[in-house]
Formats: sequence, C-alpha cells, structure tokens
Amino acid sequence: MRFYLRKLYDVTGALGGVFMIVLLAFVLYSVGPGVGLWLEQSFGLPNLFNYVARSADEFSGYAMLASAFLAMASTFGRGEHIRVTLFLQRLKGGARRAAELWCLGLGVLLAGYLAWFSVRLCYVSWELNDLSTGLIAIPLWIPQLGMAIGAIVLVIAIVEQLFIVATGGPLMEEPSGEEAMHIER
Amino acid sequence: MGSIDAQIALLAIAALFFLFGTGVWIGLSMIGVSVAVMWIFAPAKPAGDAMATTIFSDTSSWTLTALPLFIWMGEVLFRTAISEDMFRGLAPWMRRLPGRLVHTNIIGCSIFAAVSGSSAATCATIGKMTVPELKRRGYPDDIAIGSLSGAGTLGLLIPPSLIMIVYGVQADVSVAKLFAAGVIPGIMLAGLMMAYVAGWALLNPSKVPPPDPPMPLAQKLSESRTLIPVVLLILLVLGSIYAGIATATESAAFGVVGSFVIAALQRRLNWQTFWDSVMGATRLTAMILLILAGASYLKLAMGFTGLPRHLAETIAAMNLSPAALIVVLAILYIILGCFLDGISMVVLTIAIVLPMVEQAGIDKLWFGIFITVVVEMAQITPPVGFNLFVLQGMTGKSIFWIGRVSLPFFIAMNICVVLLYLFPGLVTFLPDLMVSAAR
Repeated sequence: MRFYLRKLYDVTGALGGVFMIVLLAFVLYSVGPGVGLWLEQSFGLPNLFNYVARSADEFSGYAMLASAFLAMASTFGRGEHIRVTLFLQRLKGGARRAAELWCLGLGVLLAGYLAWFSVRLCYVSWELNDLSTGLIAIPLWIPQLGMAIGAIVLVIAIVEQLFIVATGGPLMEEPSGEEAMHIER
Repeated sequence: MGSIDAQIALLAIAALFFLFGTGVWIGLSMIGVSVAVMWIFAPAKPAGDAMATTIFSDTSSWTLTALPLFIWMGEVLFRTAISEDMFRGLAPWMRRLPGRLVHTNIIGCSIFAAVSGSSAATCATIGKMTVPELKRRGYPDDIAIGSLSGAGTLGLLIPPSLIMIVYGVQADVSVAKLFAAGVIPGIMLAGLMMAYVAGWALLNPSKVPPPDPPMPLAQKLSESRTLIPVVLLILLVLGSIYAGIATATESAAFGVVGSFVIAALQRRLNWQTFWDSVMGATRLTAMILLILAGASYLKLAMGFTGLPRHLAETIAAMNLSPAALIVVLAILYIILGCFLDGISMVVLTIAIVLPMVEQAGIDKLWFGIFITVVVEMAQITPPVGFNLFVLQGMTGKSIFWIGRVSLPFFIAMNICVVLLYLFPGLVTFLPDLMVSAAR
C-alpha cells in the first residue's frame, strides 16, 4: 500500500515538473513577437516571430497552478511545506507525538476542505460549461482539474502520515540545513 | 465597524498565530482561520466556494509566473560552476582592500543577487566556494560566515527578487518598477557592509591573514574572464526589463534559457541535473503557492471583517507621523521575522498593513523596498532565518552563533532603512527613469 502511495506522489510530482516545463514554453511563446519586433526595429532583422501569442499569458498562469498543485503532495512528503517547528522541536516523546497528531489531524480537515471545494469548483465549471475569458476560450474545468487532483493527492498524503504517526510509526522528517535553500520563499 | 467586530477579527489573528505556533502548516492555518472568519462575518456567503474561486484566480496570475521561473533559474545556476568562477574572477582584485577576501562574499553575493531572486540560494551558491576558501586561508570564522550570511540577503533587494514579485502581486505595484527601485538601495547596502568589513579589518589587522601572492594585471584580467557568463546573464535578465522589451515574467524565461546555456557550455548539463532543477523549482513553487493560496483567501476574509479599514482609520485618527508608523512597522516586522519566513510575513500582513500605509501617505513602491529590507533582516534573525539554516548546514555552527556574527550586517540593514527614509529618491530615482512600465 505504502509503495503505491509513494508512486502516486512521485507521479503527480513529476507531472508537476512537466507543467513547469510547459509554463516555460508558454512564456517563451508569448515573448516571441516582442523579441521579433525589437530585433526588427533595432537591427533591421526580419521578424521571425510575427504572430499573435493568443492567450499565452493565461495559459502560463494555468500551467503554474497545475504545476504547483500537482507537486503539493510530493512537497509535503519531503517535509518542505513551511511550518513553525520551533516549539514542536522542544517537545519529547508522547507530547511530541500528540502535537504532531494535532497538526496532522487539522491538516487533514483543512486540506480536505480545500480539496472538496476545488473538486466542486471544477465540477460546477464543467456543468455550466464555463469558459476562460481570453482570446482562445477553453473550458475552465481543464485548468481547475489540475488544482482538484493536486488537492486530493495532498489530502491522501496527509491522511497517510496521520495514520503512520497514530499507529506509532516514525514522525515526519525535518528538511536538513543542506536542503534549506530549497524551502526558501 | 463596531468594536466587537474588531475584537473578533483580532481574536482571529491571535488564533492564526496559535496555529502557527503549534506547528500547523502556514498555508493551511490561513485557510482554517479564513473559513472561521467567513462563517462569522459573511454567513450568507458560501465560504468554501469563495475560497476555491479566489485561490484559483489568484494563484494562476500571469505576473506571479515570474516566481517559479526565477526559482528555476536559481536552481539551474546552483548546479553550474558559477560559484567557482566568481571566486576566481573576483579574488585577485581584493588584495588591497582592507578585509581582503572577505569582500568576495559581499561582492560575489551582490553580483549573484542580480541573477538570483532568493536570499538563501544566493547564500548557498556563493558560500559553496567562499566558505572553504576563506577557511583554508585562515580568515576568522566569525567575519567570514557573518559577512556571507548578511550579504546573502542582498539576493532579495538586488533584482530579480522573489519577495518583490510577491509584494507586487499582492499590493498591485509593477514588479518591473520594484526591480528598478531595488538597484540603488541594494548597491548602497552592499557598500555599507563592505565599509563595516573594512573598518573591522583596520581595527583588527592581526586577524586578517596575509594576501595571496600578487598577480600581474594581465593575469588578473584573464582570471576575470570567468565573470563574463554571469555578466551576460545579468544584461539579458535585467537589461530586457529596463529596456522595456520584456516583463518580469518574460525576462525570467530568458534567464532560465540563459542559465541552461551556461550550464551546457560548462558541460554541467545532463538529464539528471536538468530534471533535478525542474523538480527543485516545482516543489519550491508548490510550497510558496500553498502559502499564497492561504493568504489570498485570508485577504478576502479579512476584507469582510473591515479590520484593515478600521486599523487604517485608527492610525489616521492617531495622527501618527509616517516616520513613527515606519518605526512601529519595522519593529513589528523584526519581531515577526524572528519566527516567520519572509514570504509568509509579507502575504500575512499586506492586507492589513497596506491600507494603513497608504492612509499615512507613504508611497507603495517605497514601502515595497522597505518591506524587502526588513525581510532581509528576517533571514538572519534567529531562531528562524533561512540564511541561518543554510549556513548551519554548510558550516555546522549553531543558529544562534551565526545570528550573533551576522549582527553587524543586521545593523547595516537598519542604517539602510533610515537612509531610505531620509532620502526616498534613492528608491524612486531609477523607476522614474524607466523606458516603459512593463506590466
């Protein structure tokens, strides 16, 4: 079971990575006409990028959203989501375990709330056939699906961790100092 | 707004800090408190649907996409040989400065800051080379590590800057203008730090190790060739913004591509480093976006309480001078910064503080630079400060020891804030000159 869950987080995390690359592609596509025009006006070069980057800015935002939400669970699994552990670290033994259960229990509730309403948002958009407002109108449930899936997997990850801690398993690992650059804002 | 409402809203803020303190994830804590606030103050509104809509629209904004791209760029550069190159290129020029190679930390961080948006990444990238090199030559730990920890924070003030992107999106200020505004204060702060190091060296000549053997000018110049890639990257990223060709987001995309070119030329680019950089950036973005998601919902909920407006009116009624307000806010942020990370601190407070600040007649652009400098302070104030974490990992010293040796640089930042207040032109001069205000 744990093996398959780990796979799930890895796969959604990797999908998040793919959307990061998609984001870069959209932004590069959107900047093309501007660069072409600049090269033409400044150096008289022929404008190779003479197109209108329709809705690229909107799609970039959607790619970022999908990337981040799909990677939420994988980020959680590595203990990289920001929390204040100052007081938590002072606690020992049973008190520490109780405090972790409080955090994880509340985490399940709140992430669950987020997931429930993300799914609802996606479902309502699908039902009403809501479209995005850009030049290329796409059904809004498509980008919202990434958010919904990411939020659901995040809940699964927190529930798994809650189960582990509740049954006496190891507590969550703290990211080491080496990794601190990766948890900066 | 009645005073009962204000009390309930303040109670909600207290509850938020309670959740933070017990270790609940910051983004989720903000969602939790916001839901409660919505239930109390806007019972007729569907709290959950409002949350989903707000988070969806706020965390898919075009301006915000600069954030993951600059993070990615930093992840790529961390995996190149840029750290070694910069040390080699800078070290020969530092022989005659009082404090010698300690300045490679400050100048190295300042230059790298111009391609990096984060404080911890700047600290880690520059420190990778300077920490062992300075130790090997016998520089005292306190000045070598303190200067790195302090100068690393320039990653935030010297553009590009993740904090400025977050602030710009939240406060509706042009990110490109914020980037321009950070340049002069950043150089000034670097100057203050170098002045401190020089002063320390003049007072403690016995602690400064002998210089490296002299090098002829031609060789010095030839060693400095190694700086060319990073200079070109700076021109590409910042130049394209200031020339008005690209928005912050687009220049970030150039930056990612440029960093890959550097990595490829240095033969450091392979499938493994590529994918590591993608996943590093993706997870860091996920972490930040969870906080931003919580914050955007909190902003919505706080709007229903009327607390921000109420506080702004209270401040107005108190006839507090802008200077007094800035002092109060600086103290508040320094205290918060001891326990919270920069982004959480900014997004948490903006909704409440900004109306107050505008009411007092303080420029939003100037305030963005102010907040960036106080967030820099937060990076080096124990017990929670990300530069401290990075350096703890690199040197094995304790958080509090590193905090203590960073103190002179913390004071330099305070002096910087005072100077910015006395001479606001330092902030506004460059943005006023910009070709065009990109989105």
